[in-house]
Amino acid sequence: MEALVDTSQIVKFAKLDDLLALSRANSLWPLTFGLACCAIEMMAAGGPRFDISRFGAEVFRPSPRQADVMIVAGTVNKKIAPAVRTLYDQMLEPKWVIAMGNCAISGGPFVFPGQYAVVEGVDQLFPVDVYIPGCPPRPEALIEGILALEQKLTGKRRWPVVKPPQ
Amino acid sequence: MIASNDIPSRTNPQETFVLNLGPQHPATHGVLRIKMTMNGEYVIRAEPVIGYIHRMHEKMGENRTWAQFLPNTGRIDYLSALHYNHAFVGAVERAAQIEVPRRAEYIRVITSELNRISSHLVWWSAFLLDLGGLTPLLYAFDDREKILDLLEGVTGSRLTYCYFRFGGLCNDIDDEFIQGTRTFIAQMRPRLKMYRELVTDNIILRKRLEGIGPISAEMCRKYGATGPVIRGSGVAYDVRKSEPYSVYPEFAFEIPVFPESDSMARYLVRMEEMAQSLRIIEQALGKLPPGPVMGKVPRVLKLPPGDYCYAVEAARGRFLVRTVSDHKEFPYRVKLRTPSFSNLSLYEEACKGMMLPDALALLGSLDLVIPDIDR
Amino acid sequence: MIPSLEQLSDQFTRLIRLGAVAPNVQDSAAASPGPTATPPPSPGPVQPVDYSLKGYHLDITVPPGQVILAAEILDKNGFGLDAITGVDWIAQDEMEVVYDYFHPLSPLRVVVRARVPRSHPEIPTIYKVFPGANWHERETHDFFGIRFLGHPDLTPLLLPEDADYHPLRKDFNA
Repeated sequence: MEALVDTSQIVKFAKLDDLLALSRANSLWPLTFGLACCAIEMMAAGGPRFDISRFGAEVFRPSPRQADVMIVAGTVNKKIAPAVRTLYDQMLEPKWVIAMGNCAISGGPFVFPGQYAVVEGVDQLFPVDVYIPGCPPRPEALIEGILALEQKLTGKRRWPVVKPPQ
Repeated sequence: MIASNDIPSRTNPQETFVLNLGPQHPATHGVLRIKMTMNGEYVIRAEPVIGYIHRMHEKMGENRTWAQFLPNTGRIDYLSALHYNHAFVGAVERAAQIEVPRRAEYIRVITSELNRISSHLVWWSAFLLDLGGLTPLLYAFDDREKILDLLEGVTGSRLTYCYFRFGGLCNDIDDEFIQGTRTFIAQMRPRLKMYRELVTDNIILRKRLEGIGPISAEMCRKYGATGPVIRGSGVAYDVRKSEPYSVYPEFAFEIPVFPESDSMARYLVRMEEMAQSLRIIEQALGKLPPGPVMGKVPRVLKLPPGDYCYAVEAARGRFLVRTVSDHKEFPYRVKLRTPSFSNLSLYEEACKGMMLPDALALLGSLDLVIPDIDR
Repeated sequence: MIPSLEQLSDQFTRLIRLGAVAPNVQDSAAASPGPTATPPPSPGPVQPVDYSLKGYHLDITVPPGQVILAAEILDKNGFGLDAITGVDWIAQDEMEVVYDYFHPLSPLRVVVRARVPRSHPEIPTIYKVFPGANWHERETHDFFGIRFLGHPDLTPLLLPEDADYHPLRKDFNA
């Protein structure tokens, strides 16, 4: 009588879609594209203290062809808007967009009567998956945004939500 | 190094092609675009195309009260936000003849100089990133976070500070800040020494920068280039000394000047400036006077008609605010003269005939912040 | 070479006296006190100013035709170009072009102004004296629509390539 090997601990069955989503969520490669102040916080997120590579998102690619996620970090004005749109179009599917900071969300502080230069929200150009408010958002907020995007991909949250102390 | 007039054979227009650099390019630190006319690896003409992050701060200034414009000043050159704060509050204080308590001026100097160091650290890491070294970024951002912690404690924000007010500051510093700053100075000095041994004395960096991108003092004057660019060309021009403002005359510090006029000279100016900033902070902490940090300011600010200027030495050079008042609550005109704009304007002339990698080394040595150019 | 304030004042007073056109000094009382603006009073064409009150040492008003001569005087005295900008005095139907100069070796700051009619805003370029003026003049053209005669390239600098508006004019509406 042969002993049956218990394979349940080493073999898991899942839909291919789920496996792909899991891989994608753990290796989001952002496009190196800094516009304004938020880009410095994006750099800080890649720096030693915040270390975005803990979440697999540190591989900033200068070419949109190699990038999965575009972090729009800063104000988009009407002169740069066609270039931003082109970069988005050049990214390969599947692709995601994080609007980082108030400017990318809605034009932020630069909306006033008589403003002619600023695009009021990058979602007027292409769909946005995650919005990160702040002026500029802290690096922790960017990491939270990446986690939110991961959750959108896999349906599961990697880390528990941290509740701020009351 | 090849001087621009030594290469007649390379300037044959039939053999040139146009290379578009940016607006999305890692070496342009943002959304600067440069149309390069190239002959092989040599730059025939480099024409910067700017305006890709133009947000019209100057028009915004005409649409809000004097105080409401203050947060904008932190978002022009976000890396040296406190200097820009200083210039704007300085212009308004000069116009309204507001007396600023001495303690507030001392704290302004301390925080501004901390801001200068953090700005130079970002420049240092980004510049070396351009030249192909990733590691310095990890060191510099580690030190920079310590400064940001200190400044966050007193200003409440990490980057786009809005800390200065007309007549003083929005809050006083505490013992934690003073102690933390002293600790930081003690930590930073050996770090600067390490940077020198690790990077500045590195033969690869030296070969990459020495003699590259010469900018003469005359050219700086004609184009209005200031800050480390003019000081790297042998002119000891620093607004802190030449048009003394705030309490800077009360401190002993030197203006680093290097006459070599090349990219290395500009590099060395900034490295030396960090040490001088530490010196200023140390003296200011030692002499910090007690007292209030906010002077008497009228509730509704209406400035007497006329125009008022205030210049400061920002991390990138001379920043001038020129305001025109017509005795209303809103400014009639706010002109922001930014150092990066003038510093970039000489790029076209300076990089004629250079090799492309050298032209990028020159671009990095100018330390540009693109929203500072476009405003 | 570091000039003194008196030497500079002398040179400019001579320049303005020599000029064929009388200096375009506005009398603020005579100008219509419009609803939006009153200009700063400018009693004389060459005026030493208290630095602690204004932030500059010498205030010079010249007719538009003399901005090049003024720039040449400052160039010979070792000044550097700080900035060029405009101010739209819509109530007087005029535009003011303001040239800021700094001196790299001394604490002197000089402001040169010239006024042009709003309907016909034209002024000679000084980019041949100070090549750095090229961008500043392009920017002023962008924002105010002031045409700099003789400028090599007045295409929009900060505004989009096809911009035909001048946002800092007081009658501009987005």
